[in-house]
Amino acid sequence: MINVDWSIVFQIINFIVLVLLLVRFLFKPAVQALESRSKHIEEQISAAEAQKKAAEELRIKLEEEEQKIQEKYLEMIEEANKEAAKVKEDIINEAYQEGEKIKKEYEKRAQKEIEKLFSQLREEIVEIVETVVVKILNTQITPEVQTQLIDRLLEEAVSQIEEQMEVSYEK
Amino acid sequence: MKNEVVRVVTPLPLTEEQKEIIKKHLSRLSPQEDFTLQEEVDPSILGGVIIAWGETLIDCSVKTQLQKIKERMLKEMLKEAS
Repeated sequence: MINVDWSIVFQIINFIVLVLLLVRFLFKPAVQALESRSKHIEEQISAAEAQKKAAEELRIKLEEEEQKIQEKYLEMIEEANKEAAKVKEDIINEAYQEGEKIKKEYEKRAQKEIEKLFSQLREEIVEIVETVVVKILNTQITPEVQTQLIDRLLEEAVSQIEEQMEVSYEK
Repeated sequence: MKNEVVRVVTPLPLTEEQKEIIKKHLSRLSPQEDFTLQEEVDPSILGGVIIAWGETLIDCSVKTQLQKIKERMLKEMLKEAS
């Protein structure tokens, strides 16, 4: 007959009971808690990935928007530059034309002034010549010269009158 | 013969020779008329003579000749300038 040491048996039984109890009341809740925790973390990871994906999409969308805004901005800048260049050209052309107009006006005025001055000068020259001639004649016309003048000038005048009379008779 | 009074303007009083010359020329225009000269002295005409009778005026004064020369000079100068 086998001699059984009951204390060992009891110890084994106690151990088994302890293990069962531990499994029942410690391991299972722990495993469940871990699973729950793991699931929660997975959900959080999934949510985070979804958020990350959404954020990435949003980032791409924002980048596209930024790109569009940048293009629009460049387009507007280019348009504004073109408009400014056109305005600048118009202003320059207008100023040039105005300048040409003023220049022509001044040239015209200057020409008129020159012509006026020359006209005055011519008149003055003629007046001076006339004065000199009159002075000379006053000293040079003697009764003899006067006789010659009367004869010569009357000869010319009477001849002209005779020619005119002949012409009117012929008519 | 009809007598015609003629106004004669000269810068100096007329000499007999000058009167004869004037009458000689006037008779060429109106041989049937006799001319009486009404003398007038005007030094401003410078030389020559101005004769007027009826509606006829013969201006042979040096002053008028000078005026014509002056006008011609001005015209010529104006033409050259333009």
